[in-house]
Amino acid sequence: MDVTVLQSLLLTGLLRGGLYALMAVGLALVFGVMNICHFAHGEYYVLGAYAAFFGFVTLGLNPIPAILLAAFLSFLAGVITDKLLFHPLRKRSKGEWVMNAFLLTAGLSVVLQNVYRAVFGMRYRGITQYWDASVEIMGMSIAADRIMAFVIALSAIFGLWVFLQRTRTGRAIRAVSQDERGSMLVGINLDHIHTLTFGLGSMLAGLGGASLLSLSPAYPYGGNKPLIASWFVVTIAGLGNTQGAIVAGFIVGLFESFSYFYLGQGWQEVASLCLLILLLLFKPTGLFGTNIKSVWEK
Amino acid sequence: MQSAETTTGSRASGLARLVEQLDQLGLSLPILACVALLALAPIFVSDEYILRLLIASLYFGSLAMCFDFTGGYINAVNFGFAGFVGLGSYAAALVAIHTGLGAWAGLLAAALATGLVGFFTGFLTLPLRGIYVSLMSWFVGMTLMALATAMVQVTRGARGLIVPPLYSSITTGGYLYILLGMSLVVYVLLRLVIRSRAGLAFRAIGQNFDAAQASGVNPTRYKLINFTISSAAGGLFGGFYAHYVGIVTPDIMSTGYTLEVMALSFIGGSGSLLGGVFAAFLLIPLFDSLKRLMEYRLIIYGMLLILVMIFYPAGLSGLYQVLIQKINRWKGKKIK
Repeated sequence: MDVTVLQSLLLTGLLRGGLYALMAVGLALVFGVMNICHFAHGEYYVLGAYAAFFGFVTLGLNPIPAILLAAFLSFLAGVITDKLLFHPLRKRSKGEWVMNAFLLTAGLSVVLQNVYRAVFGMRYRGITQYWDASVEIMGMSIAADRIMAFVIALSAIFGLWVFLQRTRTGRAIRAVSQDERGSMLVGINLDHIHTLTFGLGSMLAGLGGASLLSLSPAYPYGGNKPLIASWFVVTIAGLGNTQGAIVAGFIVGLFESFSYFYLGQGWQEVASLCLLILLLLFKPTGLFGTNIKSVWEK
Repeated sequence: MQSAETTTGSRASGLARLVEQLDQLGLSLPILACVALLALAPIFVSDEYILRLLIASLYFGSLAMCFDFTGGYINAVNFGFAGFVGLGSYAAALVAIHTGLGAWAGLLAAALATGLVGFFTGFLTLPLRGIYVSLMSWFVGMTLMALATAMVQVTRGARGLIVPPLYSSITTGGYLYILLGMSLVVYVLLRLVIRSRAGLAFRAIGQNFDAAQASGVNPTRYKLINFTISSAAGGLFGGFYAHYVGIVTPDIMSTGYTLEVMALSFIGGSGSLLGGVFAAFLLIPLFDSLKRLMEYRLIIYGMLLILVMIFYPAGLSGLYQVLIQKINRWKGKKIK
């Protein structure tokens, strides 16, 4: 095989993987802490993309403030969603929580997609580029946007990691993901943690949508692909495993870029789905052996 | 005295016995009345639009019924359901196009093919529980869709297959009769299974897997039976749909359709079989009147699903049960 082809496949795989990791970490966080199979994650990605578009084009903001604005708005949307929907559901649903919450997110996905469609129309809203530059890596010229998206993704993941490991609130989030009752006993306010977690998860998705705006324009149904990709990643990593999701994001990114090259688009999908089925069959805990909580099997 | 009574009332009691027997099959009088209304529709209604609306409602209602057979009883949400139904459509279309066996053989092939894939999916989900079952069936459904897109030589990919009508002189009313017949047969069969020991086992597995296993229910067997039956029935309707619409594209296998069927089934009330059918007849005509506002239609759909999940997980059938109880209590008071 040609060395330059190998290099370009590696590079596109890595760049793509970083964004997958970003999306999937948010999904894994929501799943691990709140036990929600989040099926509307892609809709927050689209929200971020729209927010960045209007920030960048309509308000004429610089790229970084536009992306930060998008992140903030998706965080806000996540907080509102939790307060409005998951909070009342938590109060009412006990044994059937996982299924009910999953169906609720399914409904939420339908609602949000069509709200976008009603408000913004079916138009693609994209930009050609945030930064008018390109970078030379290994003899290939790559648009600065892609590098920046990758850098943003990695720094957001790093920031989240520091937050979870080093701050009091972060530790509380991890405690809730390990044992809800126990963390309640030591005085953690579950409601606040759940709301914050959902906000953070949505923020990561929105950040992904915003930083990829020049590659994939904002579009009402644009969330489907990232959603499916991040579910793949989370399944590979083991549901609810945030650290595994980072590595798995890169695995999926690399696998996609290579299998796309060798198999073409149609069969690439078939191949990755078959691998996922095999993984789920033989190792439902994922590659990194997450603990399966009993709630998820109800 | 008793014998005198039976001789005078023999005709009446014969009728009563028939009613009772039909009731045993799940065809109680209100349901029979609804069936009769539907059967009369093509005679008195000449408006194509209304007939098509009735077919759409019955079709999606029947799918919700098949979906509920797994979702509402063994508590496994088959999230790839649209993929299975679409497989039925493709099987029926391919048989009708490439073999001389005719459309009816195609419908049979649709049920067989999806039943087989359903069995296979049931097999794949054996070691899994809860949300993992949904994930697995979702991946299987998406694989089916990806295959339909990729196997261009067989399925013509995204361009789709053109399917001939069920028979050459068929009218919209004819389609309604055929669908009504299919739905009735499937409903009675599903209900017979639910009423049998198998149905009891389904519910036991759905409510508490370990307890069911401990009390001697073989979960493997019943999971396989359930997935096979539900998929085969869904595939049968998928085969019908291929002929009715006349074109099959991979798009019909997308998760969005699963969501729609799932919404109907849960709004109707899970574990009720007919709840989804009633939800379909309530909602689909209602939404169709908002046709020009396509996006609002789906927004309302999603909102209803959200509201039902939060405030009334028992759905329409739960509401119906409560009403029946209230009426019975009221009657009891009156007699006293």
